[in-house]
Amino acid sequence: MFGWKGKILRIDLTTHLIRTEAMPALLMKEYIGGRGMCARILFDEIDPRIDALSPDNRLIFATGPLTGSGAPAASRYIVSAKSPLSNCVSSPCCGGYLGSNLKYSGYDLVIFEGRSPEPVYASICDDHVELRPAVHLWGKSSSETEAAIRGEMKSGDGLDKWALNAMGIANIGPAGENLVRFACIMSDGGRAAGRSGLGAVMGSKNLKAIVSLGKGQVNVADIDGLRKAIMDFYEQARDNGELRKRRRYGTWSLPGRANASKSQASFNFKEGYSEAFVKYEDPEVIRDLIRVRDEACFSCPFACGKRSRIKDPEYPLTAKGPEHETMALLGTNCGLGDLEEICRANYICNELGMDTITAGAMISCAMELFEEGHLPEKDIGYPLPFGDKNMLRLLHEIGTRQGIGDLLAQGGVAFASRYGHPELFMGIKGMGMPAWHPQAFDALGLQYATSNTGASHTKSTMPFYEGRKDPARFVEFTKKDQDYISAADSGVLCWIIYHGPLWKEKLSEWMTYVTGTPHTEEGLDLAGERIWNLERLFNLRSGLTVKDDSLPQRITSEPRVKNRVVQLDRLLDEYYALRGWESSGVPTRGKLQELGLEKEGEYVL
Amino acid sequence: MRIKIDHRACTGCKQCEIVCSLAHTGSVNPWRSRIRVYVGEEFCLPVIAGPYTEAACNSKGTVIVDGIEVDECVVCRASCPVKSIYKEPDTGIPLKCDFCGDPPNPQCVAWCGPNALTLVEDT
Repeated sequence: MFGWKGKILRIDLTTHLIRTEAMPALLMKEYIGGRGMCARILFDEIDPRIDALSPDNRLIFATGPLTGSGAPAASRYIVSAKSPLSNCVSSPCCGGYLGSNLKYSGYDLVIFEGRSPEPVYASICDDHVELRPAVHLWGKSSSETEAAIRGEMKSGDGLDKWALNAMGIANIGPAGENLVRFACIMSDGGRAAGRSGLGAVMGSKNLKAIVSLGKGQVNVADIDGLRKAIMDFYEQARDNGELRKRRRYGTWSLPGRANASKSQASFNFKEGYSEAFVKYEDPEVIRDLIRVRDEACFSCPFACGKRSRIKDPEYPLTAKGPEHETMALLGTNCGLGDLEEICRANYICNELGMDTITAGAMISCAMELFEEGHLPEKDIGYPLPFGDKNMLRLLHEIGTRQGIGDLLAQGGVAFASRYGHPELFMGIKGMGMPAWHPQAFDALGLQYATSNTGASHTKSTMPFYEGRKDPARFVEFTKKDQDYISAADSGVLCWIIYHGPLWKEKLSEWMTYVTGTPHTEEGLDLAGERIWNLERLFNLRSGLTVKDDSLPQRITSEPRVKNRVVQLDRLLDEYYALRGWESSGVPTRGKLQELGLEKEGEYVL
Repeated sequence: MRIKIDHRACTGCKQCEIVCSLAHTGSVNPWRSRIRVYVGEEFCLPVIAGPYTEAACNSKGTVIVDGIEVDECVVCRASCPVKSIYKEPDTGIPLKCDFCGDPPNPQCVAWCGPNALTLVEDT
């Protein structure tokens, strides 16, 4: 088989039974792989109304036909489950070396079900798949866990330095173990499948880590075609300004751009700009201050990842990032103006295994509640105004569920409601909003509000990219890009590199060379739309209504940035109509027929 | 001709391993590659397969790269019985870089995005 491996690995954590299944051929055609396959499997196998932290939930690690095939920036893997934060289907993706190793081990998907009686970690090395005890790893931070597992693989399995170096590891830190609802899954030295709290799902299953070393291969149908296409792509990419910036600065070129254009989440979204951040607007400054080296994911020539270090013996290791979203949400949004402090906050979140975006939204919410006098100091134990370093302490307390951290760990809606002001949590479907302020771009508000996983910046394309700026076509672009990204996430191609319109044709091109069956842009757009609608059906069944496609009140009624509010109602009407959905946000029978989802639609129609 | 390595420019993307495997075996499998990249925290080290040596050496030394200690075994180019790399995974047949033919046209150099590998004349 070309591209795919055609095999699913299913691990029942309750009984420790491990088996393999064939990938259904029809699903590979209709859902591609990665995110699409995950949506299909979750829809088929779980009742969307279950508690996300119950053993009934599935946790799926998925690769796509392009993973490990050599196509540039095709190494990411998708993790999928019902989210304990948003109660929606969720499918964050993550780079590094785990995705390709799973694929080379011979599996397109790894499905975990049930709950292990004791903490375990899964070792997936070609045909040797094992669940190993992880009681001694429980409580360890993310980097400690990686080091300990490498140590065990060295002494127990006799792996040499090269094998230990080539493998990929995903794990949870204490936050995931403690079921913090925005815990993430950490991977390969500081990468994260971040949003939507899947670390807590992994923790609820008593699964501490996954380690994989694959020595198998991926077969490519048209080798010469692929090699030539990749060389051509290199030529095109060399002249592209956006990609040049990505290579040099990663996402560090964005916080300055956002701050200077008054579009950066600041002070719990009360502002679009922070005075204290002005000194970092030139990304060269950030690069000089903290960069150690450029870090690529497997098979990506652009290396937008940056390893960083600060001169502080209490934070000895290098860290990945902080990326733009982290700088904004833990930085400007909490009023923190010092880069070193932001790096510390990033480091703490990485080691505990917490999503920096939702964590930042939680803390900025607590800060505003404190400043407005709704959250008394005696409840926290220390003052917490905007910009206060005490937030580092609070991050620790959330991850370990101490003091008031226990309350914050339950998510923004629960926390802000406890103090009487749910509207001060800047999140959608329970998930904190990312860095770009939606009042700066109407389209962004629509994207955040309609995303199937909650306020996610990775499920559509930024409205300031070339070819996406026409305000009259915002809604059309949003739908198109959501469909395209759904297909790309199923490929799996990196969202950061192949953003929106820029390299759209590459997905069908790579797919054709690698799998040997012709793929067209139209066909993949249709697959993407099918995936998007299936995810929507899952969410509707789990109890989501049109009221959840909303924005925080501050965004729709208080003109904070550029003296504008997002007129979401008008955009939503237009969006639903374009999607072929009723005004209640439910797909029409006609649309479902078109996508081959009539049967699935019966649950909600 | 030789391949010059600028380890400070290497990002650890391993496209060189992929294209080496593609060019020599028609499949994508880093374990069939004649170049491997060791990913470190401070820098990455691309190492190109040299000749096969039958006996394992007893050297347990370290070398200093940019002030950081690196296991000698990691920078050693030999394909040898104790190392897991530079061997066909199924058969154990040793692999050695052949510069992709004569005249040399190393694919790892052609595919190296960050220009960590360059082909230079012997000096």
